[in-house]
Amino acid sequence: MSHAAPNSALTSAPGSAPASPATGGENALHLSGLAKCFDTTPVFQEIEADIAHGEFITLLGPSGCGKSTLLRAIAGLTLLDQGRIRVGGDDITYLPPQRRGVGMVFQHYALFPNMTVAGNVAFGLRMQRVEAGERARRVEEVVRLVELTDQAHKFPQQLSGGQRQRVALARALVVEPRVLLMDEPLSALDARIRRHLRDQIREIQRSLGLTTLFVTHDQEEALLISDRVFLMHQGRILQQASAETLYSRPVDKAAAGFMGHYNLLEAPQAEPLLGYRSGAARVALRPEALYLSVEGRTLGGDPPPHMGPARPGVVRRQRLLGNIVRYEIEVDSLSLSVDTLNRSVRTQLAEGTRVAVQADLDEVQELCA
Amino acid sequence: MKGPRLPAWLGLAPFALAFFAFQVAPMLWVAVSAFRVEGDWGLDHFREIAASPFFRQAIWRSLEISLVSSVLGLTIATLACQAMTRSNARLRRVMISFTNMTSNFAGVPLAFAFIILMGANGVLTLALERLGIVEEIRLYSTSGLIVVYTWFQIPLGILLLFPAFAGLKDEWREAASLLGAGRLAYWRHVGLPVLRPALLSTFTVLVANAMGAYATVYALVNTSFNLMTIRIANLVAGDLFLRPDLASALALVLVILLVGITLIQRAILPRSDTHGTR
Amino acid sequence: MAHADSLPRPLPLAEPRRRGRFRLPSSYTLVLAGVLLLLALPLVATLGYALASRWGATLLPEGLTLAWFLELWATPRFLAAFGRSLLISVGALALSLALILPVAVLAQTRYPHLDHWMNTLILMPFAVPPVVSSVGLLQLYAGGPLSLVGTPWILILTYFTIALPFMYRTLANSLRAMNVVELMEAAQLLGASPFRAFFLVILPNIRAGVQIAIFLSFSFLVGEFVFANMLVGTRFETLQVYLNNMRGASGHFTSALVITLFTVTLVLTWLGARQADYTPKEASR
Repeated sequence: MSHAAPNSALTSAPGSAPASPATGGENALHLSGLAKCFDTTPVFQEIEADIAHGEFITLLGPSGCGKSTLLRAIAGLTLLDQGRIRVGGDDITYLPPQRRGVGMVFQHYALFPNMTVAGNVAFGLRMQRVEAGERARRVEEVVRLVELTDQAHKFPQQLSGGQRQRVALARALVVEPRVLLMDEPLSALDARIRRHLRDQIREIQRSLGLTTLFVTHDQEEALLISDRVFLMHQGRILQQASAETLYSRPVDKAAAGFMGHYNLLEAPQAEPLLGYRSGAARVALRPEALYLSVEGRTLGGDPPPHMGPARPGVVRRQRLLGNIVRYEIEVDSLSLSVDTLNRSVRTQLAEGTRVAVQADLDEVQELCA
Repeated sequence: MKGPRLPAWLGLAPFALAFFAFQVAPMLWVAVSAFRVEGDWGLDHFREIAASPFFRQAIWRSLEISLVSSVLGLTIATLACQAMTRSNARLRRVMISFTNMTSNFAGVPLAFAFIILMGANGVLTLALERLGIVEEIRLYSTSGLIVVYTWFQIPLGILLLFPAFAGLKDEWREAASLLGAGRLAYWRHVGLPVLRPALLSTFTVLVANAMGAYATVYALVNTSFNLMTIRIANLVAGDLFLRPDLASALALVLVILLVGITLIQRAILPRSDTHGTR
Repeated sequence: MAHADSLPRPLPLAEPRRRGRFRLPSSYTLVLAGVLLLLALPLVATLGYALASRWGATLLPEGLTLAWFLELWATPRFLAAFGRSLLISVGALALSLALILPVAVLAQTRYPHLDHWMNTLILMPFAVPPVVSSVGLLQLYAGGPLSLVGTPWILILTYFTIALPFMYRTLANSLRAMNVVELMEAAQLLGASPFRAFFLVILPNIRAGVQIAIFLSFSFLVGEFVFANMLVGTRFETLQVYLNNMRGASGHFTSALVITLFTVTLVLTWLGARQADYTPKEASR
């Protein structure tokens, strides 16, 4: 094989190769100037990214933003128009998929229907002509890692969706890829299995110290699983940041719009709420950064230290979302989303209630675009 | 609710009667009369068939032409289907309508078309002879019949196989390539094993189709070429020596061969078919 | 390569294209072109022969003419055979529809087991070659009380078994697609008798399915030769038997006949396919 994957990666103790968000390292992934067009329509362009060895990166974006095509280009399944892909020091831009040392987990599993679980997992090792005894040992090991030892003799059709995706993961892991790519691997599964498998994937990835690129359109999934999230929109990476930064400091309108139920206001519209004129074109206010008071009493606990001026508003709609209530409040002919903690049914405000709205000034995000 | 009973019975009876009289009864008659020997029961007709070099030749030639044309037809159909899955959508649509069209071209008109093309004074025959490529084309020989049979097997094979090829997922090829498999390894370990049930059952249908074919070969060579269907028809509707009991016996042999081919296919299939139901 | 440096695109990735996938489609196209040519050859030769005034000593036909078609369409024996084929096909289709439609409706409404049975039964006409069936039919209906051999009646009755598999499947599918049971119940709750419900609600909705079944079965029946030749022969000469008996005629004349027959088949399948294309769209509206 063209790459020297650490042979002991699978046997190393869990947690021994933790993700370090520093750039560099033997299996670091470097993307520079990647671009791809279908006919004349750009699918993605100006993709620049440095992903450290062992880092878990999520490519998050709406469908059609180019994230899956980008992943396929890294795998060598789609040809690039421009740019370079490097793993560690090696340029893999021109290598065929067979020689890239890249593993991939597909959205719909892509398991070979004519082979058992063990046969599917062994496939990559057979292609590498790994000797039978060694092959059986490594297959057994990986199948145990994904907790499918009892199912090893079954065919994919006899397994549930979650089990199939674990087989697909095992099949990709057993050849010890330098980079693992996952294309919406959880989106075909139901919610409970999705949560469980999500945690399992993260745990295995961490214990093996695998450089991983994970594509999803589900922001909750992205925020919970990743070291860093790359937010993609219309073929470009808008922001590369930790989940926390991404949520609390979106870089522009599109990022804020995708990340949650932000209230996006033009600077003049926001002025009465902030009490000053923002220097930025727009400001973003998360629904939980706004506070409601009725007859001088603030809802949902103690107000924060730096509050903007109180503005009169009217409750137009209220929806119960689990333990929070989301109100739609009309203030100065604007419609704002405001979340409050739902303590009890009695504290819920009826539609038409007159309230005062105040913004937490420490949570105001100023956007350039 | 007594009302609906009567119409239901009335709706089924005519169908059952017609189906029995014109599908089941003729078959039963063949099965019974094959063992009738001058008012008694016996295996004499089968012994006669087994002992006669003439009938044995008919059986062997039927098998030979059917098997060879099926192998050729299946091979060409497989290549065409594989090319269709990789070609652009427009060419694929053209291929599908064209195979649909040519699958309708069978029997007597097909025989006449081949006489025009490759008969003693056929268009292709004369052209090739003039160009000095061949000495002569013998359409009325075993190899000539194999060409004609193969021609009508190709569209049938494509129509039966293409759905299976269309069911091969691109993701399997991609997953295999990321695991280090080249084109050949993919076909050997994934593509062909997945297609195996479809290939086998298509082959069986093609063989049965060729074994039972009568119109084309009758229009081509009348009764002068020795095949099972020709012999059977000649024993019941020929000009002389009508021997319906012997015809029944030979017809039964044909049916048994067809059933046998299907059973062989079934016997090979289950092992690969445990996973095959998608 | 000074000019390359000035281009805005830093990395022209021509290399993997040339090596990987881009050469292969041409070989696929070659395979398909070869198969198309192979399949087209007999048809093109026959069409050429039907349109050629002479085609003997040369590579390409000498002179084009419609004379052979005109001669064919002025031949009384051909027109009579055409009429007989139409008569038998229409008769067989009417009989098949009358026998199969009630069974299909019953199987889709009241007796689900029947559908299972029917799907097995309809394999029989496929499994038994027509030559074999003919042996039995010739003996059973050659004399005695049911002396049908040699008359068009035996063809009408036997062709029912040819039309059966296709007709049953098509009718059953279109009935299943429209959820007959609920529609019948709804119509009856609104005051229609079962028969009126069937004619006013079910039949109009499966019209497309019935038409597909009719057109495609029609094309099989017009092309049928084995039963026609063995059971009836020249005593009631159909198109296919007529063509077979014309083996001594001019090759140009028989070519015109072959092309005419093939065109009839194509028109019938085209009419059927057109219905099939329309149905899903109508259903989704």
